[in-house]
Amino acid sequence: MKRHIFGLAALALVVSAGGASAQTMSFADAGDLIAKACGASIERFCARDDIGTGKVASCLEQNKKDVPAQCFSALQAAEAGTAARLAAQKATFGLCQDDARQFCKGVKPGDANLLDCLLASSKVVSNACRQGLANAGWAN
Amino acid sequence: MTAFTRRAAGLALVAALTLGASFGSVERASAQTPMSSAEITKQLSEVTQFDPSLTAQVLQNMAQRAVQANQPLPLDQSEIAKRLSKLAQIDVQIQFALNSAVIRPQSYGALGSIADAMHHPILWNYRFLVVGNTDTTGTRAVNLALSQKRAEAIKEALVNLGKVDPARLDAVGLGQEALEVPSKPTDPINRRVEIFTIGTMQAMPKPLQ
Repeated sequence: MKRHIFGLAALALVVSAGGASAQTMSFADAGDLIAKACGASIERFCARDDIGTGKVASCLEQNKKDVPAQCFSALQAAEAGTAARLAAQKATFGLCQDDARQFCKGVKPGDANLLDCLLASSKVVSNACRQGLANAGWAN
Repeated sequence: MTAFTRRAAGLALVAALTLGASFGSVERASAQTPMSSAEITKQLSEVTQFDPSLTAQVLQNMAQRAVQANQPLPLDQSEIAKRLSKLAQIDVQIQFALNSAVIRPQSYGALGSIADAMHHPILWNYRFLVVGNTDTTGTRAVNLALSQKRAEAIKEALVNLGKVDPARLDAVGLGQEALEVPSKPTDPINRRVEIFTIGTMQAMPKPLQ
């Protein structure tokens, strides 16, 4: 019975993580999420591994039986959310191209000038552009 | 970044880089509140005047020569320091395990904020120098090596986890050779990581027609 409940809890976590992955996530939030869900396990089992090398993830995997399931779903959600964020950032100026031509003529791209113009025009830009800016994490 | 605005002296957040000795839980909203990505973006985009001759290699050679000769490196009075101080910069709080370059989990969020800032359009086209510093506790040579490893660990994390283009980042450790407060050499305030905006990647695109 206990195992059954645990299985259900794990399933609920996977489902909620799946739901979250549809959203985009900042790297700051991803870092906080991983620290919160995995921090104790990392300091206990992987204290010598540097997070930038990718060894921490494999270390956590090796100690799977002692690492809480929400750590793995947090890692997954962080990976999916930040990948979605980067994809959204890449796509945003394409989504806003027509709006930029209409509202930002003469604006010199670079130094976020175009973004500033689009944000200043946020009431009139297309829904796709506005949603793109939000998904990229650049909306006000 | 179009306006040439010199940073006010008080603008640079001087935050001690605490060497984690305790493994207890750390309150994020304590005295050391990490900067948000918006604050980082703002500060790193403040100055447009770059100094192309100021590279990681130049700084590293200077620090190594000073340690080998066992000579003080009066970086505060030096031309290099003056030039560094003109660049847009931030002091970041990254906590490392004691005597190691392993970044502690409570700093993952702060690292993420730096990555977010570097992905923002205002900083898209810019390159950065990550500089690690220690206080004078321990030996100079060890401090120099440790600070280099820590600066590299931050670059590695920004690249592999934060997905920042490695071509945009240089890392250098200056050990105890560039004290923040030379009158208090052992003060932990000297342990810090600085990030400088050092140049552009490519020419800015043309205006929309």
